[in-house]
Amino acid sequence: MNTPQSIAELYRSHGHIVLRRARTLLGTEHDAQEVLQEIFASLLRAPNTLRSAGAAVGWLYQATTHFCLNELRNRRTGARLLEARAAAALPELASGSAETLAEVRSLLAQLPADVAAAVVYFHLDGMTHAEVAELLGCSKRQVGYLLERARQSLERAEQML
Amino acid sequence: MNIRLADRIWQACLSSLQLDRYLMGELSEPGPAQVRAHLASCAQCNAVALGRKAAQAQPLPALRLVAEAAVIPRAVPPTASVSRPRRVTWSRAAAGLAALAAAASLFIVFRPAAAPEGSAEQAAERLGERSKGRGYQLSMYVQHGAEVRRAGPGDQIAAGDAVRFAVTTPSQAWVAVLSRDPRGHGSIYFPLGPRAELVPAGAEVPLRLGTRLDSTVGEELLAALFCSGPVELEPVRASLESGRAVIPKGCEVSQWSFVKR
Repeated sequence: MNTPQSIAELYRSHGHIVLRRARTLLGTEHDAQEVLQEIFASLLRAPNTLRSAGAAVGWLYQATTHFCLNELRNRRTGARLLEARAAAALPELASGSAETLAEVRSLLAQLPADVAAAVVYFHLDGMTHAEVAELLGCSKRQVGYLLERARQSLERAEQML
Repeated sequence: MNIRLADRIWQACLSSLQLDRYLMGELSEPGPAQVRAHLASCAQCNAVALGRKAAQAQPLPALRLVAEAAVIPRAVPPTASVSRPRRVTWSRAAAGLAALAAAASLFIVFRPAAAPEGSAEQAAERLGERSKGRGYQLSMYVQHGAEVRRAGPGDQIAAGDAVRFAVTTPSQAWVAVLSRDPRGHGSIYFPLGPRAELVPAGAEVPLRLGTRLDSTVGEELLAALFCSGPVELEPVRASLESGRAVIPKGCEVSQWSFVKR
């Protein structure tokens, strides 16, 4: 059972994962800090949503992705976040990633939730189809379908430019 | 757009998830050995892993919501702390009066939600017969470092301190604690959910979880609602933010303010 104390300990040990993902997905430090607080607040409110401390990383990936995508789609915050051009100085991302990430955010804000999550996991996190399927709770075939839908959406967006 | 979704933005061989699971000790054998072997031979993945280890060592900001036991010491008899007068010196009393005067400026007139036109309830509201309720009280405990104290109207509290609320209610009630900060931003301290939460009757009943105060300094208004049902809180928060606070039907309010420095 997750107690408030064990969740506070999880915050200290795993909080950096949430912060890093939120910085990448939202592009602003302030918003990333807010997401960090909100994720752990939600866990304190409903501690049983994290069934096993040994599976915390996957849960935090899911929760952070879900929360950040909601922020991008939110009418009040989305427009501001989509203007963010903060450089993401992350060695794991391709060069010129700040501009690319800004474009990805714009795309993510328009995609259905499951398609957007698949894009994040596959393209930004470099996950295999099996890993994406595990986090989305679907089959690998469904992951391929979601990524194909994302590709088609991008093609349509480019044709409209 | 310049995105080519055929190419991943992610550049390392191992996925972000796999690396984090490895670093946090979540991989089962033979996963860790395989990742270690790969990191020894791949400069790109090794650089990512080292970057993440360095980030892990960086201190995080304090968690805003704090564990329950951290704020209200169980050893403090709640009812005793309610009735016990606090000893004050003249200088403290003068400072307290000044702070109370400042706090009074934040007092907000909560308007009852409009009753149906022509109803008896509306007539009662017009006549000012709506009861303000007795025996409803909001208390706040503050943890500053290792010290825990009970805060009152006009008290000065440091930004970053952990606070937790307690309420006194003569009968069970659906309770919420809202605030309007110095910038006029309305927020809900308790509960975390969208509706008021049921609290049993009692004196100084601690509310679940605590909160760490943010860095916005100035006078902050606190308002506790004691309701006969699980009212939706977002409309109340929005009305508080607008400066024309509205009490939902069936609710009573206890409000006071403190100064955040």
